[in-house]
Amino acid sequence: MSGAIVVGYTATESGADAAALGARLARSLDARLHLVIVLPADGTRSAAVPPERAYEEVIRNQGKKWLAEAMTELAQDLTRSGHVRFAESFAEGLIAAGEEFGARLIVVGAATGAVLGRHRLGGVASALLHSSPIPVALAPSGTAKAGEAAVPRITAALGTRAGADVLLDEAVALAADSASALRLVSLVPFDVPPGLDTGAIRVVAGSHADEVLAAAQEALPAGVAATVEQAPGDSVEDAVSHLAWLPGEVILVGSSRLAQPRRLFLGSTAAKMLHVLPVPMIVVPRTGIGAVDGKVEGDRT
Amino acid sequence: MSTTPQPVPSTDEPAPVTGGLSQKGLSAGTVGLIGAVVIGISCIAPAYTLTAALGPTVSEVGFQVPAIILIGFIPMLLVAFGYRELNRTMPDSGTSFTWAARAFGPWVGWMAGWGLIAATILVLSNLAGIAVEFLFLLIDQIAGNPGTIAELAFNPFINVAVCLLFMLGATLISYRDMQTTQKLQYFLVGFQVLVLLIFSITAFVQVAQGNAFDASPIDVSWFNPFAVGSVGAIVAGLSLSIFIFWGWDVTLTMNEETKDPERTPGRAATLTVITIVVLYLLLSIALLSFAGIGTGELGLGNEDIQSNVFFYLSGPVLGPLAFLVSLAVLTSSASSLQSTFVSPARTLLAMGHYGALPDSFAKVSPRFFTPGYATIVASIVASAFYAIMRFVSEDVLWDTITALGMMICFYYGITAFACVWYFRKQWFDSTRMFLFTLLFPLVGGVILAALFVMTLVDSMNPDYGSGSNVGGVGLVFILGVTVIALGIVIMIWQAIKRPAFFRGETLGMDAPASLRRR
Repeated sequence: MSGAIVVGYTATESGADAAALGARLARSLDARLHLVIVLPADGTRSAAVPPERAYEEVIRNQGKKWLAEAMTELAQDLTRSGHVRFAESFAEGLIAAGEEFGARLIVVGAATGAVLGRHRLGGVASALLHSSPIPVALAPSGTAKAGEAAVPRITAALGTRAGADVLLDEAVALAADSASALRLVSLVPFDVPPGLDTGAIRVVAGSHADEVLAAAQEALPAGVAATVEQAPGDSVEDAVSHLAWLPGEVILVGSSRLAQPRRLFLGSTAAKMLHVLPVPMIVVPRTGIGAVDGKVEGDRT
Repeated sequence: MSTTPQPVPSTDEPAPVTGGLSQKGLSAGTVGLIGAVVIGISCIAPAYTLTAALGPTVSEVGFQVPAIILIGFIPMLLVAFGYRELNRTMPDSGTSFTWAARAFGPWVGWMAGWGLIAATILVLSNLAGIAVEFLFLLIDQIAGNPGTIAELAFNPFINVAVCLLFMLGATLISYRDMQTTQKLQYFLVGFQVLVLLIFSITAFVQVAQGNAFDASPIDVSWFNPFAVGSVGAIVAGLSLSIFIFWGWDVTLTMNEETKDPERTPGRAATLTVITIVVLYLLLSIALLSFAGIGTGELGLGNEDIQSNVFFYLSGPVLGPLAFLVSLAVLTSSASSLQSTFVSPARTLLAMGHYGALPDSFAKVSPRFFTPGYATIVASIVASAFYAIMRFVSEDVLWDTITALGMMICFYYGITAFACVWYFRKQWFDSTRMFLFTLLFPLVGGVILAALFVMTLVDSMNPDYGSGSNVGGVGLVFILGVTVIALGIVIMIWQAIKRPAFFRGETLGMDAPASLRRR
């Protein structure tokens, strides 16, 4: 058993997508799956509505029913449990649950209205992506229909900006724990100062890719393969959309430099990638997650 | 802000394969004293309430409005004690419906629920109607184009269209349980109270300076209910003053929701009611002495201005600052639209849950955790009701308010009797139980029942209320009787389709045993 995964669940299609991705990741990482429904305390999030414990009880029971149904849908061999939590906002409740269970990942679905197979950030996901101390996995719409197969390969989108080291560490750890392949995609061409000529970019990109591969291979346990790919293209979207994906593959991206230490902040590059990616995306906070509380660090060994 | 629930200790044991649902204990109370007072005032929405109720009350009792306001509070207080006892022993989001069903069985319970839903739907349509008039008035005042834009509010087509838009907005906000912060709520309530204070003080100043429309010296007799003259007028006045205190009981029934359940609800209820009574007295006295009760242009006795007096008086009293009153009424009605939507929706949800209505009413929105289906149904009915009434009666606002007072008497009365009957084995357990489960709710219930019957009889007269009538019978009577008859018809239909609830299988009758040793 290696750590825990918290799924921000709602009894909607988006919640089912999140549960499916959570299950897939939990299976790959041999982690414990926690489905969490976050409800408004006193039955409302509006200060204009009188608080009512009796109504809170109604939605608590409804939440339990939803969780029970969701858990019978999941593969029975997974170690899983469901929890009803109360908090001011969904994101706040999920982060608290993530810390309570020592989760290494928080999984949420796309907002309703997302095109099938694509991401669309809802209020909850964007709140999480701008505050979570724990990596956040986003399930594109339709994940639930794609089955619960284990993750075959993890792709990490690396750059030279601050945070790339942490991202690499996390990618290596996830690949090792899930015994899946690792693919490193270099985003260097998009990180260099504007105005640098193409030839220079190629040189920088090529040498960077080599360095990263060397570092990654050193950290990998035997038996895990790491490949490096340079994503060609005029823009981030263009480059990412030309990558080939295995069924069930996930991509890791780093948090923006704007983020508070150890907190997430979805960067512009990641946001651009989100729009074109057909695969689940995991956003990793800037500073090591091991620094949060040490639980996750210990679980990796 | 300290409204975050305490972190929950992890109670789940690792690894049951089926997954244990962690039981979270009751979260700590989140509402402090000031918070409870703010919620109470915002539920009463004094700016909206007074503009809608002052005119009709004056038309019934003349200068004795202050007296009626003071005695109107008594039955509300007595019944609220009963509410508190019921809420303490049987907290349930179905409130009146559940309590009456537990005490008197499914049929009475159903009708109590129906009364609550009908009253809140009536007030929803009235609230939206008032809000629309003030929206146009506000635009008019800001545009500095006296009269022309405000007049548009009285074109029935424009009025209904804007009103439906308003309802749509309020429905969306309620359905999505839109997050509003406590700070915003404090600000809105503070603004409302402040504007009403400025309004009444300015009216007094205008009177003193001799600028009043019909200066009427304040007289002690204004506080004497016996000076009204006829019993019928007092009854009509009282059933209106029931409406102006309606919603106040939330402060008293908030219990475990507060940080200090022993003291906060009582203190909050007291503070709220003092604030409200002072505001009402101040404003009604100020406007009475400014405008008199004559039928002149601005006189409170003028039928054309009675259904919305602030609308006509804010300009003459406040001059360029009149837009403040429009803004206060607008924000007050808009924010109470949301809290008002909650109670029919949750009662419908409880009725669906116990099988008194179709299952769909029991649906909770999986995204927003609100009674989604019930909210939408309540909104559609209120919108349709308003649209029809606007074309049937010129004085729709006035007539809905009067009918509303009657419906409140109906379901509050049943609830008060439900308290008395439910606790019948505990009446003599202690002095406290005697007072709060027998004496107070019984007296309150009897007063409300008497008001209900007398209003019903009087309202048959075509001259009652605004004077709207259909075939020589007062519109208020027709409204009241139709609403109750419709409830009975739907109840019988449901009893045929869903007999389980009506056999008492889903919600049984009960009477807690005496706690005294025999």
